[in-house]
Amino acid sequence: MEGRLIEVQAHAANGDVKFFLIGLATTSMKEAKDRVRAAIVNSGLHFPRRRITVNLAPPEVRKSGASLDLAIAIVVLLASAGKAPPPRSAFLGELALDGTVRHVDGVLVAARWLRRRGYRTLFVPSADADEAALVEGLEVVPCAHLGSVVDHVLGREPIPAAPPARPQPDPLQAIEHDLCEVHGQEEAKRALEIAAAGGHHVLMSGPPGAGKTMLARCLPGILPPLTLDDALEVAQVRSLLGELPARGPLDWARPFRAPHHGVSMAGLVGGGSGVALPGEISRASQGVLFLDEMAEFNSSALQALRQPLESGRVTITRSGGSVVYPARFMLVAATNPCPCGWAGDSRRACRCTPAIVDAYQRKLSGPLVDRIDIKVTVRRVAPSVLSGEPQGEASAQVRDRVIAARGRQLQRQGCLNALLKPARLRREAELEPPARRALERWAEQQGLSARGFHRAWRVARTAADLEGVDAVGEHHVLEALGYRLQDVAA
Amino acid sequence: MSAAPPLPQLRTRGRWPPPPGPRAAIVGSRRPSPYGEAVAEQLGSELAAAGVVIVSGLALGVDAAAHRGALHGGGTTVAVMGTGVDVVYPPSHAGLADEIVAGGGALVSQFPDGALPRRHNFPARNYTMAAISDVVVVVEAAQGSGALITAEAAVELGKDVLAVPGSIFSPLSVGTHGLISDGAGLVQNARDVLAALRVEREVLDDPLAPPASAGFELARAGDGLVLHLSETMALSASELARKVQLPVAEVVGRLTSLELQGAVRRHGSGYLRALRRGKTRA
Repeated sequence: MEGRLIEVQAHAANGDVKFFLIGLATTSMKEAKDRVRAAIVNSGLHFPRRRITVNLAPPEVRKSGASLDLAIAIVVLLASAGKAPPPRSAFLGELALDGTVRHVDGVLVAARWLRRRGYRTLFVPSADADEAALVEGLEVVPCAHLGSVVDHVLGREPIPAAPPARPQPDPLQAIEHDLCEVHGQEEAKRALEIAAAGGHHVLMSGPPGAGKTMLARCLPGILPPLTLDDALEVAQVRSLLGELPARGPLDWARPFRAPHHGVSMAGLVGGGSGVALPGEISRASQGVLFLDEMAEFNSSALQALRQPLESGRVTITRSGGSVVYPARFMLVAATNPCPCGWAGDSRRACRCTPAIVDAYQRKLSGPLVDRIDIKVTVRRVAPSVLSGEPQGEASAQVRDRVIAARGRQLQRQGCLNALLKPARLRREAELEPPARRALERWAEQQGLSARGFHRAWRVARTAADLEGVDAVGEHHVLEALGYRLQDVAA
Repeated sequence: MSAAPPLPQLRTRGRWPPPPGPRAAIVGSRRPSPYGEAVAEQLGSELAAAGVVIVSGLALGVDAAAHRGALHGGGTTVAVMGTGVDVVYPPSHAGLADEIVAGGGALVSQFPDGALPRRHNFPARNYTMAAISDVVVVVEAAQGSGALITAEAAVELGKDVLAVPGSIFSPLSVGTHGLISDGAGLVQNARDVLAALRVEREVLDDPLAPPASAGFELARAGDGLVLHLSETMALSASELARKVQLPVAEVVGRLTSLELQGAVRRHGSGYLRALRRGKTRA
């Protein structure tokens, strides 16, 4: 995520007592003039009785909001005092009329970006100091009140810098939803393990109440813990949305987002006026995006997921410019087999007509579902299994295997198996002769598309990595071929 | 009984009329239970092997199973279509339509070439099916099913109607049981249909006996997993894994292997034992 540097210049000239704010400031920005004047006066400081011109550069960037208030106030006061601003420093903060420095969104994004650009000192609202202190090598000055900031800048009374947070990954991150709490559903659990190990997207099909949501919620817990960089990326998205807690802003748990099927396109992929804000897919980055009842989602919103699924990023262009947000999520989609939920069930009759089932399933086909490597059916679990003790493995054990399998992939090819394109698949996932024969025979018998062929191949590679072997064997291919759905209508 | 309207002019593809001999229409639900599908396929196969021409509607479910059974039995089958003979509906049955023609059967339609599937075409098509058949066998029909229109037409045309019983818990039995209580013939095996057709030849030993090759041969071939599956009640991979106490990953792989061999097939969210070995499915 990128920042945009705004340079605030002030000039104090002799002439009428006036205050000009120039440099493509929007209406909301113009209000800064009045806030800054009030904040300066109410801080017991002297607002210069001169002709003040504040310029915001570069002039082609539209500026809005209140996060430049603090910078404007400081340059106005420095200009009238004839002093230079501190070197390689940046200011972020909104001013209240009494001079209090108020929270602004996106401090972490700004802090990381400024650090990369070589800035050494960042003045931020006190409320956001913990957030900025996550960035290593940046001196963070927590600003509570305009008066104290001025005292600091003029060298009268320095503000102690916020202690650096030096965040450490938390290996003992508690698992919120544990696979061992899920009764039965061995096939779906295994499918999730493979998905987690290879970074494959998953589609679960089954009647209402079969436990699809519960299974999906278990996925973050079997993914490897976040690295510091990944955790910072997750926090950056939340920071932009103003959702980071002031205390303990870094969360080591992988995100799990489950937007409702009524979500708008902007809500799902990001949007809004001016500069677009991140959507659900960016909030789910580094974690899991769960789309329950996928067939009910607006189909254009679903189609908008294609580009992010390919690239791991989303580019959104609005009047305020183009932004790129991360969107490296694992997609877990869930669906009923038909509108009533019971098509294809041996024990209960489906009430939908074949035409309705057909139309419903057609919504589930197409380019998006084509990008989902693993498809698995989920059934309601028999009461006898539900009443017994759950007997599955704990998520922590599954996660250990996932970490090992991911390690093999990264060492071999530098990426997860889900990202292997056919050419690399041939190189990195050589099939043993019986495995190749099984896959080819299946493709011939079932009329498998090229895409379907490579999906099964990728999943087989992951099954082999979970087993810890280099060669992809016949049993890996056969298992991979099992993770598909049968058209109920066919 | 009113005078039967004349048979409409038929457009045809393949061999029409079919070789002389009795003709039985096998019709039923477009989404039968595995039981209904198995019955339709088996009846189609046994009757075709006995020289009966199998007439059906090329629709999903029972129709397709009857056609496939007839082809498997080495017999002739005729698809009466609700579209033009050049428009296969549903499109997924294009392969089946070609097999029917290649097997010496025919696609016939009273609608002009290029006619698309229209709701009101199908009752007329159902009537034609009855008109060109000697008996009509109904396999699973819910209340209001199109198969009941075919049965009604058969009664009107003075032809025998037979029905296959099912479970009293199944909504798919409501139509067929209604027919039986109204006097339709009860079908327990292919012989019952042959009797209605007055085919004197005794050609079958035990028409609806399970095929000899389904279970034991496969067990010898190496995978006893198939013995834990039923032909009518689909089990999921999880349920099967729990039953045989094996890791689910292994069970999923072995089931795929059995699917490749044609010994097992998917049904919705579960797996069924296939009726015959070595049979590929559309």
